[in-house]
This record gives sequence, C-alpha cells and structure tokens, in this order.
Amino acid sequence: MNMLKYKSSLAKPEKNLNRSSVWAYIFCAPFIIGYFLFSLFPIMYSFFISFFDWNGVGDKLFVGVKNYITIFTRDPLFYKSLTNTLLIMLMSTPVEIILGMLLAVVLFNMKKGKSFFQTANFLPYITTPVAIGFIFAYLFDWNNGYVNLVLIKIGILHEGIYWLQEPATARMVVALMIIWKYLGYFMTIYLAGMTSIPEEIYEAAKVDGANPFKTFIKITLPLLKNITAFLLVTSVIGGLQMFDEPSLLYSWGERSYVGGPDNSVLTVVWKFYNDAFKSDSMLGYGSAISFSLFAIIIVFSFISYRISAGKEV
Amino acid sequence: MKKLLIGFIAIVTVLSILPFYLVFMMSTYYSNDLFKGLPFLPSDFLLKNFETIFKTNFIQVYGNSIIVSVSAVVLCTLVSSLVGFAIAKYKFKFKKVINNFIIITMMVPMQISIIGYLLEMKTLHLNNTLLPIILVWVSYPFGAFFMTQFIKDSIADEMIESARIDGCSEPRIFATIVVPLIKPGIATLATLVFLWSWNNYLLPLIIINKQQFYTIPILVSTLGTAHRNDLAARMCALALSIFPVIVVFLLGSKTFIKGISAGAVKG
Repeated sequence: MNMLKYKSSLAKPEKNLNRSSVWAYIFCAPFIIGYFLFSLFPIMYSFFISFFDWNGVGDKLFVGVKNYITIFTRDPLFYKSLTNTLLIMLMSTPVEIILGMLLAVVLFNMKKGKSFFQTANFLPYITTPVAIGFIFAYLFDWNNGYVNLVLIKIGILHEGIYWLQEPATARMVVALMIIWKYLGYFMTIYLAGMTSIPEEIYEAAKVDGANPFKTFIKITLPLLKNITAFLLVTSVIGGLQMFDEPSLLYSWGERSYVGGPDNSVLTVVWKFYNDAFKSDSMLGYGSAISFSLFAIIIVFSFISYRISAGKEV
Repeated sequence: MKKLLIGFIAIVTVLSILPFYLVFMMSTYYSNDLFKGLPFLPSDFLLKNFETIFKTNFIQVYGNSIIVSVSAVVLCTLVSSLVGFAIAKYKFKFKKVINNFIIITMMVPMQISIIGYLLEMKTLHLNNTLLPIILVWVSYPFGAFFMTQFIKDSIADEMIESARIDGCSEPRIFATIVVPLIKPGIATLATLVFLWSWNNYLLPLIIINKQQFYTIPILVSTLGTAHRNDLAARMCALALSIFPVIVVFLLGSKTFIKGISAGAVKG
C-alpha cells in the first residue's frame, strides 16, 4: 500500500513534488518548533535536573540516581500516594464503565429527549475542577453540608458523618467526584460506539429471535470492546495524574491541608507539587518523582491495554 | 423495566445538574441565610454579592482568563491545522516520523516538563506574565492528531490537485480550500481547547504568583481564604466562572460531542 502511494507520487512532475514537499515542511515547522521550545526542551531540562539536589536558588549538587533510589526505597509517602491514587481509581473506574455503558444503552433505545439527557449529563465534564472541589467540599461538610443534612432529615443517620475527616470516607468522596465528573463523558463515548454499529446486525439478530438482553451480551458488548479499551487506558493515564479533584477538595479555608486526613487522598502529582513547589522546593527530587510517574504510567497503560484489548494485540 | 431504566437516567441527570443549580441559587442569597434550608428558590441578594466580588480584581482576572483561552484557541487551532494538513495531504520524507512523534507525545504527561518549563520561563523573564500559560497550547499533540484525522477524512486529494493545476499556491490552498472545509473540526478543537485552558489549574498555580495575572481557577481557589465567611459571594464567583464554559458548551454541544466521540470510536 505504501509502495503504491510512493510510486504514484514519483510519477508526478518533479517540480511539483519539490515545491509541495517544501511547503509540507513549512506547515510542520510551527508545531515542531513550538513543541521543541515549550515541551521537549523543558522535558529534557527536567530530566537533567532530576539527577541533582537543587532548591532552584542555590548551587546544584550532582547526586546521580540518588533521587530515584530515595523515591523507591526510602520514601514511604511515595508508595502511599501511589496506593491512594490506585485505590481511588479502583473505586471510580469500574463504576464509570458499568454505569456509563448502562446509561448509554438506555439512551440508545430512547426515542425522545436523547440529546437533552446527553447534554445535561455532559455538563460536569466541562466544569472547572475548582468548582467541583468547592461544590463537593461544601456538600460533604460535616456541619453545614447538605449530604448530612438530608441523610439526618430522612432518618438514615442520627448524627453527621465526618466525610472529609476520615481516610476511608475521604477517598470515597474523591472517587465520587471523579465518577460525577466523568460519567456523562463515558456515556457519550459508549453511545457514539453503539450508534456506529450497523443497523443490519441488530436486524439480523432480531430475525434470529434473539431477545434484547442476549443481543446486548452477544453483539453490542463485543463490538464495544475497543471503546472500553480506549476508555480504560485513557482513564488509567489520566487517573494516575490525578491532582485537581483531591487537592481542591481540601483547599477551602480552615480545612486546607495537604493530603487530606492522614494523607489518605495524597496523590502522586499532589506529592510532586508539594515536594517541588510547596514545602521544601526540592526541584531535583520533584523532577525525579515526575519521571518515575511517567514510567509507572507507561507500565500501567500497557497492562490495562493488554487486559482490555485482549492478548492477541 | 423500561420505566425503571428511564427513572434511573432521570435520577442520574438530576444529580448531574443539581450541584450547578445549587451554586446558581446560592449565589443569590445572603450568606447567613444559606443554612436555613435547601436553597431551591432564588433570593434577592445577587447584586450585593456582585458588589463584594467586584471589589476584588475579579474583572481583571476574568479578562486574563479570556485572553488566555482565546489566544490558546487561536494558536492551537492554527498550528494544529497546518501540521495536520501537511501530514494528511503531502508526501515527504519525514512524514511518518512526524506522525509517530505526535502519537507518542500525546501520551507524555505534562508534569514531566513542568519544572523545566518553569525554569525556562524564569530565565526568559516570562514568568508572571500570561504568556507561559498560553504558549503550552501552541504545540498541542492532541490537536495535531485530531486535525490530521479530520483533514484525512474530510478533504479529497483531487480537490487539492485540481487547485494546484489551476496555479493556486500552497498557502492559498490551505486558506481558501482547506480551512472552509474543516470548519466543524476547527470548531470542535476550539471548544475543547477553550474548556481545557479555561479550567487549567496546575500550570497557572505553579507559574503565576502575582494576583494581577491570576486566572479564574486560581482566583476562585484563593477566594476561600479572602472571603472566609462570605460563602454566598464565593458561590457567586463560582457561578460567574462556570457560566462562559456552559455557554460555549451549549453553543457547540452537538459538533463538540460528535468530535470527541469520533476520536474514541475510530481509535
């Protein structure tokens, strides 16, 4: 296929080819130059710094791979932050996938109001994380929060739960924020996937006498495999970079503290932010954390891709 | 069964919208009245809350956010369309290399560049301007990938060929033939970049520390300390910061939803 294309391009007048390929480079130039200046160079610079002990002001002290060794052997908080991140992802991603698919099925079979429900459920995805953090901090406040208020009023609770002060419930609230934010997005992607399945396949199943449940299990589910893989891999990549939701949940006035109760919602990026810019300004150590995270992201996205897309790929 | 499912989606929808509704309602209340019950109906304190907010540099910050998002949208869509056009419609030696490069860089998390970026901006004396939070959008791998796919799918090679035969120059082909045809793609990418840059939190948090260059997320997150007790004013600021995002989304929601799902369905 490639050979063919190449041949056909050779067949064109020499002058034309030269002219247009020069323009192709010119059109690529802004992107390449911009990426080098504002991403690639900073990445290499960060990587360079990760081998130093440096606070950004004084002298750089070359320490080799010591930062990396410290992260993986002598910094229990790094493992804790990684565990927290994974725990929150474990609590949120399966719910997003199952509920997202279920909602998409319901919407798919709906005749009226489809686009209203889709738009309404998509709103959380586009909202400023600052707002989400604030809304949830407020809703789950022990004293004034509406969640406790409502639960007490309908008699489920006798007194309010300290949602944001206990490690287990704090993680739950962060997971809820993430589910709330991404559910509409998952639903939309699944809906698009279902719409792209040819109508004839469903018709054929109907003719063969398959009931809706069987059709879903035997036809829809397997055809949505690629979409599930996409959603899983992207949420693993995004989830490991979690920062906005937990940090903003705990940035309001008197409740403002790093990591939540007992560091239970301290994520890797939050730790990175804190080590590199907040408490000690350890830029070298921070860089090393970010590159360790990058390695972890590669490993986990590969694993999740293998799991969701099947072994043959 | 059907009723049950529709009931289920109705509940989920209510839960999706309710927090927004509460924020907008609460922004019309006097702070001390907020806890007398659920604020389902609007009160009459909206203008007073506006006054409290506008005493801070909220308008300036709002302007900053608009400058950042609009510049990000313009730069990102232009650069992405150009590189997308080159990869989709030209044959040249490094085409495959550049294409793979874009796909790989899409997976690189932004945190690994952020320390180097901060130091680079400090060296160039650009920290504490709005430029650092605009420039990151210039070469946005997702945008380049998205436009490449879009141009591949929506423009026939013959159109470009015939324009060339008519003696049309390459930049003119781009401006007068390609751009009009990829407007829906540009609209989707523009909406996404607008939302993402408007909502961006980590980068401005790290790079900007002068209040005159704050963007909305940073200002709203620090309002917590400035207006400790005036919850309604904070809600009002929040409502104002969500508002443009909702407008942009509702205006483009059809093409926008199509655009983001197209990437997933294909990939």
